[in-house]
Amino acid sequence: MGGPNLEVDLAPHNKLGLRLGNPVLVASGCFGYGTEYEPLVDIQRLGAICSKGITVRPREGNPPPRIAETPSGMLNAIGLQNVGLQRVISDKAPIWARWRVPVIVNISGESIGEFEELAERLDGVPGVAGLELNISCPNISAGGRLFADDADSAAAVTRVVRAASSLPLMAKLSPNVTDIVAIARAVEEAGADCVSIANTLVGMVIDVEARRPYIANVTAGLSGPAVRPVVVRMVYEVARAVRVPIVGVGGVTCLRDALEYLMAGATAVQVGTANFVNPRTALEIIEGLRDYLTEKGIADVAELVGLAQRELPNLPLSPSLKGRGGTVKLAPPSLQGRALGG
Amino acid sequence: MELVRARVVANEAIMPDTHVLHLESAELGRAAAPGQFVHIRCGPTWEPLLRRPMSVYRIRREGVSLMVRAVGEGSAIIAASQPGEVVDCLGPLGKPFTVAPTSRRLVMLGGGYGVAPLVALAEHVLPRGREVVLLVGAATADYVFPADLVPPEVEYQVATMDGSLGHAGYVTELLPPYLDWADGVYACGPTPMLAAVSRAALTPRNALVPSPLSQAWRSGPGGAGSPPKPVQLAMEQHMGCAMGVCLGCVVRTRHGYQRVCRDGPVFSAEELCWEELA
Repeated sequence: MGGPNLEVDLAPHNKLGLRLGNPVLVASGCFGYGTEYEPLVDIQRLGAICSKGITVRPREGNPPPRIAETPSGMLNAIGLQNVGLQRVISDKAPIWARWRVPVIVNISGESIGEFEELAERLDGVPGVAGLELNISCPNISAGGRLFADDADSAAAVTRVVRAASSLPLMAKLSPNVTDIVAIARAVEEAGADCVSIANTLVGMVIDVEARRPYIANVTAGLSGPAVRPVVVRMVYEVARAVRVPIVGVGGVTCLRDALEYLMAGATAVQVGTANFVNPRTALEIIEGLRDYLTEKGIADVAELVGLAQRELPNLPLSPSLKGRGGTVKLAPPSLQGRALGG
Repeated sequence: MELVRARVVANEAIMPDTHVLHLESAELGRAAAPGQFVHIRCGPTWEPLLRRPMSVYRIRREGVSLMVRAVGEGSAIIAASQPGEVVDCLGPLGKPFTVAPTSRRLVMLGGGYGVAPLVALAEHVLPRGREVVLLVGAATADYVFPADLVPPEVEYQVATMDGSLGHAGYVTELLPPYLDWADGVYACGPTPMLAAVSRAALTPRNALVPSPLSQAWRSGPGGAGSPPKPVQLAMEQHMGCAMGVCLGCVVRTRHGYQRVCRDGPVFSAEELCWEELA
């Protein structure tokens, strides 16, 4: 029987491709190395798992306190605590290789050389379906600047990783920039197969009784429902400017939120912080999406991508978006209302 | 551990802002052990966002009871759960207390609502022939764990900061007379209290664990020779996922940062790096 098609390819121009059974991934840092939630969740049904961010050498991370709850969100400054590249290759990848669900390894470096080493050594490792370039972690201070802070350095890292690995590359962009569109264009030009938008928003919280920053690292990354409108706007704008698939990340908690990102122009979404609250969030969204498409008579989830895009005098639609179908015209009447009802 | 929707069968106010929720869940009742916790969602919405960890206070075949103090918005919502309502639970989680088969006499210290897991532990060991001394500290008499909720076999002593009930001062000041008697020390409460328990219990004249790790805590030349005595501490910590994933709840130990949710909440006193915690 032919239910709606949920499959997506996040690297359509890469020889290996990054074909997922559905467009709902779990975000880096929010699902460990994939094994931790296995007792609670049928992880094989996820679109993909983005691993905890890894570095060449193990990192012990920042001193506590590392997290704080905020209105509809949370701050974290974990500092990339991870087991390091060697143990990922020796201990984690062999587990991933037995799974049906693709695992995208999130890699992070303090130098372009470290990114290159990570990309080279993960290339061809069974169990690694792709790389997510974490050029945007706000919690490690390597000279105080991130590769995702400007278009030139973002492109430089992407180029080096592209040359070092044939794996599908997803560049995870920082929201803490003036013009995310320019950076998205730059990493696309440099060979990224897709972009994930966005990492956490830099924030902080003051302990007013102690009269000092609450988080030991002082600043931290904001995630959760609080950031969603900010990131949806970024996805909407980037979708008008690039041809590569976009993965929306930020405050996805339910089907409605996922639809919002898809209609803004994302091909897929990542569920992050919501996993901590309801570990079954991603699976519930996948089921909800299938039912939604069936109910609306939509054959392919791709038809939703960019449906909310509008031609604006100061924001012309990119040719790629026009080619994605369903963009300039109004959503069919059946899609109006319900989608944002929730 | 499981995701369980557990029905509240009773909600008893036992102290100001402090409620015992009796939850009906055979899964939790079967699986829970003293020292473990249940991670509870604050409600169906995403505000407050994160679940709240609540240590297991009583374990029965048909469910568990949790002691919940309303210290903030989230815990206030959970503490107000009414009979018939359903609570979204993830648990039981974390490493429980361990009691050596040879152990006979346990001294337990609870600071504030840190008494909760110790009641579970006492109820677990009493039928197995152990003797228990429970020392509880609170700010004032109002916040002292009610004596009629303590199992009758337990020797119960109280300290209050304002002297309104029992010893005037810190609960840890009640510990020294029991250190030679006890063959295990168990504590739960605020971190400064746990640091004081650790200092007192690991000091040589009080028969400490003969471990090189305890050297840092020797105030003078140590008199070794006493058998090893476990000092187990259940840490309180803000948590994100409680599944070992977010790495938000770490504490510094001799083996690096460890997760309170997964590697704890029960730690051995000599594992913890008190110079960074206290």
